[in-house]
Amino acid sequence: MNELWIETGAISLNKTGESLCGDKVEISGGGDEDLTLVLADGLGSGVKANILSTLTSKILCTMISGGIPLEECVSTIASTLPVCSVRKVAYSTFTILRILGNRIAHIIQFDNPATIVLRHGEIFDYPRTTRVIADKTIWETSFPIERDDVFITMSDGAEYAGVGRQLNFGWTRDSIAVFAMGNYMPSNSAKTTAGLIIDECERLYGGKPGDDTTVAVARVRGRHTVSLVVGPPEHREDDQRMMDLFFGKEGVKIVCGGTTSQVVSRYLGKPIDATLDYFDPEIPPISHIAGVDLTTEGVITLSRVLEYAQDYLQAAKLAPKWAVQKDGASLIARELFENATDVEFYVGRAINPAHQNPNLPITFAIKQQLIRSLTECLGRMGKHIRVSYF
Amino acid sequence: MKITICIGSSCHLKGSRQIVEEMQRLVAEHQLKNRIELAGKFCMGNCQNGVCVTIDDENFSLKPEDTRAFFDNEVLPRLK
Repeated sequence: MNELWIETGAISLNKTGESLCGDKVEISGGGDEDLTLVLADGLGSGVKANILSTLTSKILCTMISGGIPLEECVSTIASTLPVCSVRKVAYSTFTILRILGNRIAHIIQFDNPATIVLRHGEIFDYPRTTRVIADKTIWETSFPIERDDVFITMSDGAEYAGVGRQLNFGWTRDSIAVFAMGNYMPSNSAKTTAGLIIDECERLYGGKPGDDTTVAVARVRGRHTVSLVVGPPEHREDDQRMMDLFFGKEGVKIVCGGTTSQVVSRYLGKPIDATLDYFDPEIPPISHIAGVDLTTEGVITLSRVLEYAQDYLQAAKLAPKWAVQKDGASLIARELFENATDVEFYVGRAINPAHQNPNLPITFAIKQQLIRSLTECLGRMGKHIRVSYF
Repeated sequence: MKITICIGSSCHLKGSRQIVEEMQRLVAEHQLKNRIELAGKFCMGNCQNGVCVTIDDENFSLKPEDTRAFFDNEVLPRLK
């Protein structure tokens, strides 16, 4: 294994009037493990398409990541999918993206728009070979990956965006590639890249998508560790040891909590410079300590971060807020959700007597629960988490 | 004169922000920006009481609704 990290992000738009999406993305692995990403687009729309794409993506992802040959996977799908009573075919197009050993990309496609690859921000053309399996023409490619490669897979709903509206013939795969290149920034997360393209699709559709539209992105990036300390140690004599470990790690340093920042300030011999800027009325202002990347209040700020994390894993409706705001919770959210691949928590178990007031939502039990929930969310985002208690 | 307001968790929940905003407004209204420095501070270790506020080295505990009286009775006389 090398120091590369595979990050994924997928966003779908439902066809206007449909509550289910006929496209489905299934992802297994990622991070520093082998990735299998399958994007399936079921025939038609609504429930039927949703069932077809769900079955296809799930079967392919499970079988392919289990190392079963493609021929067998495709014939399993052909014999498993229910046949459409109207069209008399069982049909779901698919794109399979695999990244193996953090070294080799392998793309297998049946009928979806060809995966766009950006290398160093430029469109990267790759050779393809085709073969026929169970009457389906499937093309494949395989090449070594490089850091900052971006793989953009999509359903054909993306290409139909704008047909007969802004654009006569829709938004072609090549113009999507040019758009992706124009909006490329090395720091864009996989989810951000998917979001930029989806937003443009939605705009071209005039807010009323005529087809289910899905963009799933995989990005090859370097690892990035964020260390976060919250709470002073249970025993004061452990201050030094906790701080030695916290500052001994590479990467970004975040300090949460008033008393905790005083421990840090003593350790570093640097003053705490508190600001009075309420960018968000509910979140206490941040402070500055030389040698620390970010210093915030503790429980209230982290409660908001947890709220953002839970939202991120579902609808991501709050993302536009934390993606730009300057309050402590948004700054932590950006660092943890977007930048970090590895997160180290240093949790102190000292009980602040002033916080043990049942009328305040900042008791010790709440704090412990908060850390547990937050680490669980980050784990589900695919990050490596380590929690040390003091 | 330096007035410091605690912005730690406990004081935040007891209304630090309202006090900060009210103080900023009063200082501007009395045109005292060059004589009073407002600052934030994390926990002053006196959380059991109201929001911790200090004038230079003197400690006070405030509720948001007392800010105006505090300004009139404690801050202004000390500037005389």
